[in-house]
Amino acid sequence: MLDVIELALRIIGLGLIVLGGFASLISAIGFHRFKNFYLRLHAATIGTIWGCVYPLTGASLLSITLSELGTYRWFIAGASLVAAIIILILAPAGSHAIARGVHKAKIARVQPCIADLLDKDLCG
Amino acid sequence: MSRALNAFIVACLTFIVYIVFTGSVSIYDLMTGFIVAVVTGVLFSNIALSNALKVIDPRRWYILVRYAIRYFIIDETLAHVDVIKRILHPRVPVNPAIVKVPYYAETDYAKTCIACSITNTPGTVVVEIDENERVFYIHWIDAKTLEPEKAREFISKVFEEYSKKIFD
Repeated sequence: MLDVIELALRIIGLGLIVLGGFASLISAIGFHRFKNFYLRLHAATIGTIWGCVYPLTGASLLSITLSELGTYRWFIAGASLVAAIIILILAPAGSHAIARGVHKAKIARVQPCIADLLDKDLCG
Repeated sequence: MSRALNAFIVACLTFIVYIVFTGSVSIYDLMTGFIVAVVTGVLFSNIALSNALKVIDPRRWYILVRYAIRYFIIDETLAHVDVIKRILHPRVPVNPAIVKVPYYAETDYAKTCIACSITNTPGTVVVEIDENERVFYIHWIDAKTLEPEKAREFISKVFEEYSKKIFD
């Protein structure tokens, strides 16, 4: 029974880490393909959630199963989990602060634009 | 009395986070964790909490766990797949707009939770909050509608239902 749980944790952990690598690559490609400040923020979100929070959770699950690490595996598991939760809370605060600052200072325009209900002058 | 209870609960949460972070239960870690927890609890008692009874309600924790599982498995996956498709598509199809989305949550924690949930899903970023009109201004990568109520159905309805149950 314990072996099955260990195997499941290991597979889920490795899967999440691979997903993280894939998402970071996609996020980097998105940064180059999107031509506008606000659109790049969406690519950055992929890099923080699938590219950062998920693989940290995966590292936490994986390290629980690595018995050769001894007691240090609990340190790795706990630190990864807490770091993932802290990134989950702080990353949106950062994105929001950047978006709000840029919109207030009228630095970047919303382009292409369907409508801008906050400030019509910045549309298009 | 309520301040002491607030301080006690903040200290307990800090202590749990500290012990999970260090990942050990040696005497040294328990002692430093206790000192850090007491200092944090006393300093942040009335800033962090106004009604301590909400924290010890197990129903709210149960809904929080259900929300986390649903959010990470369903909502995040749908939003990520949508934006990844747009990035890899040859023509990079985008349809962006800044839309108004009303919210009906009362407490600051609930508003913050809704706004963070919206920003953490790729495709929507909260640009501005207007607390007098009770609306978020959201940059949406694929604006299906400009009507505030309909946009709310697409973006924040689920987040708000759960956040209201957890924090209000």
